Amino acid sequence: MSEKNTTNIPKEQFEFVQQDSKIFDKEFETKPIGYFQDAMIRFVRNKTNVIATSILLVIVLMSVFQPILTSKNYVNLEPAVAFLPPRVPILENFGIADGLGSFQDQPVILDSINESTGFGGNPIGYNPEFILDESREYYTIGCSDFNTLCQGGEAVLRLDSSNPAITVATTQVFNFTAAQRSVLSINVTDLDVDANKVFEVYVRPNPAEPFVLISTINQPGLSEINVFDALGAESIESFSSSVRLRFASDDRFDFVAISSIELTQDGSDAPVASLEGQPLVMNLRSLNLPGEGGAIVRQNATIQMMSFEYRSYDAVFGLRPSNGFPISQYNEIVAANPACVRTENPTNPNGWLLGEGCPIVEVISENAGVVVGGVSFGSYNVVIDYALLNGYDSIPYFLFGTTNAGRDLFSLIWVATRTSLLIGLIVAGINISIGVLFGSISGYYGGNVDIIMQRFSEIIGRIPFLVILAIFIALLGAGIQTLVFILIVSGWIGVAYVTRTQFYRFKGREYVLASRTLGAKDMRLIFRHILPNGIGTIITASILLIPATIFAESTISYLGFGIGHGTSFNFLGFEFSGVSVGVLLADGRQELITRPYLTVYPAIVISILMITFNMFGNALRDALNPSLRGSL
Amino acid sequence: MIRYIIVRTIWVFIVLISVLSINFSLLKLAPEYPPTEEEAREIYYARQVSDGYMELTVITDPDRIRSLVAGEEVACTHPKCYIVRGESRWLVYTPVPISVQYVNWVRNVVFDWNWGVSTRLSVNTPAFQVLTDRIPVTLRLNLISLAFYIPIGFLLGILAALKKNTKIDDAISLGVMVFISVPSFVTMTVLVMVFGYWLRVLPAQFPASDALGIVQYTGMILPVLGLSFGAIAGLTRTTRAELAEVLTSEFVLLARAKGLTYRQSVLRHAMRNSMVPLVPDIIGSFVGLLSGSVIIELIYSIPGTGRIFLRALEASSYDYNVILVTTAFYTTIGLFAVLLVDLSYGLVDPRIRMGAKK
Repeated sequence: MSEKNTTNIPKEQFEFVQQDSKIFDKEFETKPIGYFQDAMIRFVRNKTNVIATSILLVIVLMSVFQPILTSKNYVNLEPAVAFLPPRVPILENFGIADGLGSFQDQPVILDSINESTGFGGNPIGYNPEFILDESREYYTIGCSDFNTLCQGGEAVLRLDSSNPAITVATTQVFNFTAAQRSVLSINVTDLDVDANKVFEVYVRPNPAEPFVLISTINQPGLSEINVFDALGAESIESFSSSVRLRFASDDRFDFVAISSIELTQDGSDAPVASLEGQPLVMNLRSLNLPGEGGAIVRQNATIQMMSFEYRSYDAVFGLRPSNGFPISQYNEIVAANPACVRTENPTNPNGWLLGEGCPIVEVISENAGVVVGGVSFGSYNVVIDYALLNGYDSIPYFLFGTTNAGRDLFSLIWVATRTSLLIGLIVAGINISIGVLFGSISGYYGGNVDIIMQRFSEIIGRIPFLVILAIFIALLGAGIQTLVFILIVSGWIGVAYVTRTQFYRFKGREYVLASRTLGAKDMRLIFRHILPNGIGTIITASILLIPATIFAESTISYLGFGIGHGTSFNFLGFEFSGVSVGVLLADGRQELITRPYLTVYPAIVISILMITFNMFGNALRDALNPSLRGSL
Repeated sequence: MIRYIIVRTIWVFIVLISVLSINFSLLKLAPEYPPTEEEAREIYYARQVSDGYMELTVITDPDRIRSLVAGEEVACTHPKCYIVRGESRWLVYTPVPISVQYVNWVRNVVFDWNWGVSTRLSVNTPAFQVLTDRIPVTLRLNLISLAFYIPIGFLLGILAALKKNTKIDDAISLGVMVFISVPSFVTMTVLVMVFGYWLRVLPAQFPASDALGIVQYTGMILPVLGLSFGAIAGLTRTTRAELAEVLTSEFVLLARAKGLTYRQSVLRHAMRNSMVPLVPDIIGSFVGLLSGSVIIELIYSIPGTGRIFLRALEASSYDYNVILVTTAFYTTIGLFAVLLVDLSYGLVDPRIRMGAKK
C-alpha cells in the first residue's frame, strides 16, 4: 500500500478497465499470495517488530557461535584472573570500561604507613606498583574486630541477659616485686558510679592459694593500685601472677570499659609491662566461672582504610619479576616455546635474555639449588610476561569483565543465554505436546471425558507455583530434572485450553462428518482432519510459552533451585552448561556493591532477550492471526 | 446465583483439600530433616508420637539390648526410624504408614489447629506461629503495592487508550512491553543498586523493625516499586485494550450522537463498561503480587512469609511443617481470590448470569 496521493485525482483521468473484455476464464496475472506469504507481508510491515526480531536473531546466533569461537576461558576455575573489571577496546581510551578496578574500604598494611606523617601506605593483597597514585585516598573507620589491623580502642566487659557478673583474666603474667614498689594502673574509661555494681581487681600472690582482691574500682579514670600495700605487710617479696578483673552488676547488659592495664615500678613513668588497644583485647580471656558469663568486646578502635583505583589487568597480565621460579618449570616453558632462544644480556652478566614471544622475558639471576636424591632443585629470578604465560598474545580484553571464578563474563553470558533458550525450547516443546494431546482428547470426545479432564486440569492449574516448587525440591533436590518438572506441571494447561477450543470449533464441520462416514477412526480424525485446521492458532498461542518459560526458569535458577555452576545436562548427545542467566544474576547479587558489572550485563542481556522475544511472539501472532491484533 | 456461589465455594474447598493432601503426602515421601540438636530432636520425636505420626517402642529387656548392641538384631528397618540408645533402655521411634499419618494430620489440623512444629527455622515453635509472625509484613507490603499500582495502571491505560496511536501511546506501550518482559528480580536488583548503593537515598535493605520512624517508611518504597512495575504494566495493557475496544463500539458513538461531549461519553459510557473485565483482573493480580513478593523479599531481606518459605526450603535442611503451612497460606489466598474473581463477574456486570446453562 504505497502512500501516493490518491485523493485529488481529476475525474477525467479515470477510465474503466476491462470494459469490453470477457474475463471469466482468464488466468490471474499476479501471483497468488499464500497464507504464510500474506503473514510475512504483515510481519515485515511493522518496523519495530522487524528490529526486535533482528536483535533476537543476533542474540540467538551469538549464543550459538560465540562460546564455540571464543578463545577465552569460561569453563575452568582460574582464580588468578578473577574479578577483572570490564575492558573494551576503543572505549577504554575515553575512560569507560578501561579495566581499572576501583576498590573501597581496603585495610592498609600498618608497616607501610609513613611513620612521620601517619598516612600513606599500601593495601593488603594488592601490588602497589599498579595502584594509580592520584586515586589513593586514606581514611579511618571504626572497627571492633579482634585483629591487629584494628588499632587502639578499649576492651569492654559486657554482661549478657542471663549473668550478673563476668570475670576475665589476662593471659599475660605480670611480675610484681615489693622492693620495686610495683604499681598496677588500670585506666577505666566508662563505668557508671552506682552502688549496685562492683568492679574488682584480683591477683594471686601464692600459686597454691586462690586469687586475692586488691582493689575495688568504683569510678572511671586512672586507678593506681600499689599491689603490696593492698596485699598487706606480711606478704611475700615477689610473685608472678595474671590479673583478674571481675565486674558484677544488677543491671542486665551493663558494662565496663577499660583502655589500659600497666605495671610501673619505682615510681617511674615508663611501664615495665603495658597492655592497651589491640594487645589488651587479645590478652583478656573470659573465665566463664559458674554463674558468670558475658562477653569481651572492643569499642572505639579504628582501622586505617584506603580507596584506590587499580590497574587490574596489568597486575594480572603485565611484566612482573618473579623470584624463585623453579628451574623445572622454566625448562618446560622453554621447551614448549620455540621462541625462547637464550641470548646474552650485555647489562647483566649473571642472567640472560630470552627471545621475543617467550613468556619468560629475562632471567635475572640463578639461586643456589639443592640436590635431593639425585634430583637438583634450583630456581631462577625471572621476569615473566603473564599475558603470554596465560596464552594471550597481549593483555586480553574481557569485554564484560571476569567472574569470581575467573571466567570470561562475556562468553559466559552467551553460554547462559544458550542454556536459557534451550531449556525454554525443550520445556515449551514438551508443554505444547502434552497440551495438544490433552486438549485434543478433551475437545474431541467431549461429554464426561471432557468434564473429568477439565476438572483435572483445573486442580492442577490451581496448585500454586510455590507448592509445586516445594514438592519437587523436597523430593528430587535442585537440578535440571527438578527445573523441567516444575515448569511442566502446569505449563501445558494454556495450550490444552486453546486446543480444546479449536476442537470444539472444528469437530462438527462437514468434512469431519464426511470423513467419519467414510469410516475414519478417531485418531485419523483428530490428527489428520481437525488438528491441522486449528494448528495455526495453537502455534501462535504457544509461541509466547517460550519467553514465559525462560522467565520462569531464570526466576527458579535465581532462587537457587534450578541449575547452577558445575552442573551440565545432556540433550541430543550434546553437553550443555548448567549456567543460565538466572544463575549469573544470583552470583552477581553477592557482589552487588563492589562489582555491579556482574549484575548489570546479565540483567541487560536477559531484559533484551525477554523484550525482543515477547515482541517477536506478539508480531508473529498478529501476522498469522490478524483478528487477534492488539489483544493480550 | 446462591446455588452458583455454593457450588463454587465447595469447589474451592475440594481443590484446597486436594492440593494440601497432595502436598502432605508427597512431602512425607521425602527424606526427613529433624532438628540437629540432640535435646530438641528428642522433644521433636516425642511430639511426633503424641501427634500420631510415629510409634514409640521402649526396649528394656537386657538380653534384647545386648543383641541389638552386638548387631545380631535390627531394632527397626524403616529408613526414617529414630533410635535413642540408652544403657538399659532403647527408645525406637517408628513412623506409622503415610495413610494413617494423613488421617492424624487432618485430625490435628481440623480439631486442634495443630500444624506441627518447626524443625529447623526456629526449633520446636509451632509452624503456624512461625508463619503468622511474618504475615503482617508481607500483607502490608502487598496491600501498599496494590493501592499504589491500581491508580497508576488505570491512569496510564486510560491515557494510552484515549491517545491511541500517538507518541504518548507508543511510549506507554513500549514501557509496558519492557516491564512485562523484564523479570521482577532484575527490576528489583537494579532498583536496589541504583537507589540503595549508588545514590544512597533509600535503604539498601529492609529496615529492622526497631528502626526510626521515617526509615520504616522509606524502606517500603523500593519493594513496593519492585512489586508494582510488572503489575502496572499488566494493568495498563489490559485497561488500554479494553477501553480501546469499548471506545470503538456503537453505544459510545450513539452517546456522542445523542449530543454528549467526548468527556461525558468516555466517562459515563466507555469507562464504565471497560471496567467489567478489569475488576476481576485486579483481584486476581493480588495472587500474582503475593507470589511475586517471595523474590522481592529475598532480594530486599524482608522478614515476610516468602522469606520464611525460602529459608524452609534451604538445601538439605528442609522444614516441612513450615513449608506445609506456608503453602497452605498461599493456596488458600490464591483460591479465595479465584472465588472472588468468579463472583465479581456477576456483581460488576449484571448481564453475566452466574452459573447459567448454555
